Amino acid sequence: MIGLLAALAAEVPKEVINPVVPDEIGEIFWGALAFFTLWALLRYVCLPPLLKVRAEREQQVLADQEAASAAETQGEQVRRDYEATLAEARSEANRIVEVARVASEAQRSQAVAVAEAAAAEERQAAMADLDAARAQALNQIKGDVASIAISAASKVVQADLDLAQNQSTIDDYVNQASGTR
Amino acid sequence: MLGLQTLVGNLTNIALLASEGEGGGGVQFPPIENIVKWPALFGEGSFYAFNKIALISMIAMIVPALLFYFAGRKASLVPKKLQNIMEASLDFVEKQVIMPAIGPEGMRYLPMLVAMVFFIWIGNVFEVIPTSHMPANARMANPLMLAMTAWVMFIGVGVKHNGLGYFKSALFPPGVPKALYLLVTPIEFLSTFLIRPFSLAVRLFANMLAGHILLVTFSVLCITLWGFTPLVLVELLSFPMLVAFTGFEFMVAFLQAFIFALLTAVYIGGALHPEH
Repeated sequence: MIGLLAALAAEVPKEVINPVVPDEIGEIFWGALAFFTLWALLRYVCLPPLLKVRAEREQQVLADQEAASAAETQGEQVRRDYEATLAEARSEANRIVEVARVASEAQRSQAVAVAEAAAAEERQAAMADLDAARAQALNQIKGDVASIAISAASKVVQADLDLAQNQSTIDDYVNQASGTR
Repeated sequence: MLGLQTLVGNLTNIALLASEGEGGGGVQFPPIENIVKWPALFGEGSFYAFNKIALISMIAMIVPALLFYFAGRKASLVPKKLQNIMEASLDFVEKQVIMPAIGPEGMRYLPMLVAMVFFIWIGNVFEVIPTSHMPANARMANPLMLAMTAWVMFIGVGVKHNGLGYFKSALFPPGVPKALYLLVTPIEFLSTFLIRPFSLAVRLFANMLAGHILLVTFSVLCITLWGFTPLVLVELLSFPMLVAFTGFEFMVAFLQAFIFALLTAVYIGGALHPEH
């Protein structure tokens, strides 16, 4: 770099004005004219439309943000209302289910009681029929046993035995035998 | 940076030696006036002499004005294409320059700061535009004019918002022991009212001039070393360096515009609240 500067210095004639000092007043004049014209154009012509649109956009963004915020608040309120309604409906449903459960339980108990009563009645009737049938069968057996026993005893004693006279003995035996079983 | 300087020095010496060895009389580096001074297209010798720098300044005025005009002509709430790009540039100046340096009250200076960024950037970017290869701000005229504008602006803002008390706040910072004012006040006067515009102008001008000379140097090297000699191998280094520095200068063109606008905003913010 020093070599370059030395070479450059050697080339510069003595009468050349120092490049640091502005020697061309025309450059300052045109530079100032250009800069201040640009400043004025930007200030009064070019920037106002852009700044206006930018301000409008900021306003629009703010308005949209506020609208979004309001919609969010409203949505939250709707959600709360919906959840409250839902909770109320659930509570009502639970109450209805409980009432129905109690009613059905009562109906079931009543039906069971009726059925049990009917069954007991039928069982009682059946037992009565059974007792009657048994008594009938026992009487028939008694008659048959008495006839057989008299016949057998007549064979054993070689004499005719009177059924009527021995009926009570045979009945006692049959009764005793049926009682021991 | 030191390594870069050494590299440039070595390449220069190689080129000088190479050309001398061929009997060519050395590398034909252009004189400094040839790469920064331009003849007038009209009005030579008058205050309105119109040269290449003036032409670039006019282009740097017309291009952003047209871009913003067409972006805003049919501006819609949902930005598209050009409107999107230009609004993004406004957002950049607002969020990266005004808000950190001044705050919300600095929005009134948006047109001036946008004008500064685009005027400086487009003026700078001509450094890497083929057939131009000259940044307008590698001449002192525009940086000086812009720095004086910033200087007048921040002093005017300070006086407007604080009256003459601005000078008192700037020269006699509160909280400093009175005895130290003997030392602090001259330093504050120099740094705030004299050195600020000078540093603003020189920072922009020197960066662009240095970048311009760097690109010229590597261009000359590339041209000189191009030939059927072993030294053409150096081209393998010098040409990529030229390409890399071109990209670097493209970035510097924007960076210097941003820094200039940011410092102007910082000075205006300081003038609005000199007690800080």
